[in-house]
Amino acid sequence: MNANDHPAIFTITEDELDLDALLAEITLPSTGAACFFTGLVRGRTHKNGLPPETEYLEYEAYTPMAEAKMRQVAEEIRQRWPTIEGIAIVQRVGRLYPMTPTVLIACTAPHRDTGVFEAARYGIDRLKEIVPIWKKEVGPVGDEWIEGKYIPKAGE
Amino acid sequence: MMKITLLFFATLRSLTGLKTLELELPPESRVADLKIQVAERFPQVAPALTQTALVSVNREYAADDLVIPDGAEVALFPPVSGG
Repeated sequence: MNANDHPAIFTITEDELDLDALLAEITLPSTGAACFFTGLVRGRTHKNGLPPETEYLEYEAYTPMAEAKMRQVAEEIRQRWPTIEGIAIVQRVGRLYPMTPTVLIACTAPHRDTGVFEAARYGIDRLKEIVPIWKKEVGPVGDEWIEGKYIPKAGE
Repeated sequence: MMKITLLFFATLRSLTGLKTLELELPPESRVADLKIQVAERFPQVAPALTQTALVSVNREYAADDLVIPDGAEVALFPPVSGG
């Protein structure tokens, strides 16, 4: 099958993530395995025995560049794991409360042993490096923009 | 002079209070020249611009020596933190 026939979804959305609907969109008749990673808003982060509380996260994206970089991440996945069939990369933005899914990376393949787990892992790691999305943590004592550490190279 | 559209995100948006800014630059200006001009106009973002801020030109990550094309969409933002 030509890679152009493979289903792919790259979306920044304010809507709730519908995991079943996304799975249906990246499933082919030949698909036998799907691996999903989803991140959630963590309400409590235990540090030094004192749990700081998160009221909500406020997400912001540079949408056209973010969707283009999601497409680039998917191309990188296909180069590394050519057996991957469908890829969905979706980031929810806006105000998101604890226990809410915020991001989804899903990959499908004919079998589980040809890279679906590794591909989904690679996808979330790369999203956190090069896809222009930011989150602000809002808690009882104020708010703070969270900044990543990765500095992309020119054209990366 | 050439015109560019400058976009700010996350901390840089908070610090400047601006989402977008139309800006005029001399032809052949580089990303480094733009950073100097922005830092003069918004001193509060100067530390970020000289340290960790990222720049995209027409939606691709750009180095300081890139010559900015006329009409470019340029964005300034901190290292990303999606997920």
